[in-house]
Amino acid sequence: MSRVGAWFEKRLGTSGIIGFLSHKEVPQHEHTIWYYTGSAVLLFLAIQIVTGIMLALYYQPTIEGANASVARIMTEVPYGWALRSVHSWSATFMIAIVFVHMLSIALLKSYRAPRELTWFTGVVLLALSLAFGFTGYLLPWDDLSLAATKVGTDLPKALPVVGAWVTKLMRGGEDVAGDTLTRFFIVHVCVLPLTLLAFLGGHLFLIQRHGISLPLRAERKNETPPSLPFWPNFVLREGMVWLVLFAALLTIAIFFAPSLGPAADLLAPAPAGIKPEWYFLFLFQTLKLFPANILGIPGETIGVALISLAAAFLFFLPLIDSRPAEKRGRVMTAVVAAFIVYALAMSAWSLL
Amino acid sequence: MRIPDSLFTRRRFLGALIGGWLLALAAAVLSPLRKFIIPPYREPDEVTLPLADYASLGVGEVKPFAWGIKPGFLRKTADGAYLALVGVCTHLDCNVTWLPERSKFFCACHEGWYDENGRNIAGPPPKPLRRLETAVEADNLVVRKPGFVR
Repeated sequence: MSRVGAWFEKRLGTSGIIGFLSHKEVPQHEHTIWYYTGSAVLLFLAIQIVTGIMLALYYQPTIEGANASVARIMTEVPYGWALRSVHSWSATFMIAIVFVHMLSIALLKSYRAPRELTWFTGVVLLALSLAFGFTGYLLPWDDLSLAATKVGTDLPKALPVVGAWVTKLMRGGEDVAGDTLTRFFIVHVCVLPLTLLAFLGGHLFLIQRHGISLPLRAERKNETPPSLPFWPNFVLREGMVWLVLFAALLTIAIFFAPSLGPAADLLAPAPAGIKPEWYFLFLFQTLKLFPANILGIPGETIGVALISLAAAFLFFLPLIDSRPAEKRGRVMTAVVAAFIVYALAMSAWSLL
Repeated sequence: MRIPDSLFTRRRFLGALIGGWLLALAAAVLSPLRKFIIPPYREPDEVTLPLADYASLGVGEVKPFAWGIKPGFLRKTADGAYLALVGVCTHLDCNVTWLPERSKFFCACHEGWYDENGRNIAGPPPKPLRRLETAVEADNLVVRKPGFVR
């Protein structure tokens, strides 16, 4: 070790961590491909942080300045259109891979003991990712973003007792207005990033603590599949995945830059045919299905309550299916598969 | 592995190839970011002011104008022409003020003094205030960068 290295080692004592990482092994089996989804999410998170800081150099979170400042980024600032496009598309990529990551873990039953806490932090990270998408959508302050935020912040109202207060808290008053924009901005660039990094730290720590999970078959036979050193072999393979994803992201972002509508007018009617971002489509379509009244209870209340129940089911999945790690989980596989079919079908229906 | 008579091993060749390619990729990603962080502001090449606003100026009197986002000062000289100065101290970029009772420009940041022609006469300023060219064109007083031709 060099003298500089020895100086730091004496003061930091990081040789344990480096030793751990240099001996870390990644099992190789038919489901190894799903291991790559986690680091792919990290790639897009890093892109979001860099491009987000960049955009915040010019963005102005006020009712007068928001739309004009985004217009300036799109038309005047060098490569501004490209950065905004990458930020917008990278959000889509990130959420898509977060979904794949979560569903693969649900299908492989990797959430079972002792990895329940890893799953809990993961569900929180999913919720935070969606909150990023929801708050970020308002920031350009055009007609679409205003309508989407009115709907999204109105939904909690359907819940009894706390609902009306939650809506007020999100909007900064009774209605979506300039104060909503400013608080969405600070939540998007400060509250959510700090919370996300805290939970991400816990998530990554827990993954190292328990080691990466094995497929049920290997657990059942109590066998150890062949493995690959994490450094450098697995990291280099991840690097190849990152390069492919990065190339796909840039290509799509360059050719399909997001549009910017005229500045939101609080008095204008909602634009026709309005839809939320793709990752909210299945919820959007679900809520459309409920009639105004079911047995005297407002349909919206039942819809929101059912969605809240589904979210609670998702969060507590490791406690609901708490069987030993080596048991099959056919029921849970069917439930997850049914959810995937439902979400895809509802999304497709909403686009018809 | 090294082919006979080769100058380098295959590993070194591939390492340099991939490393060079990664460097090119990094440069391609970083160069737009480097451009992005500097907003496109350009100082005006010229500004057009209504002559009527400045025609009543007495000889030696000074009136401010806006040189883009910087303060400018116009002073009527003894021969009836206009002298235009950028009112930014040449020391450390503070805006200067005109003190009519002393006929001097003063920078409060580090007590820099310029005379009525913008020459640095006391304190830390290293250079005179920047001069701009002026011309009377029809009803307008045009202030432009020295040497700028439309």
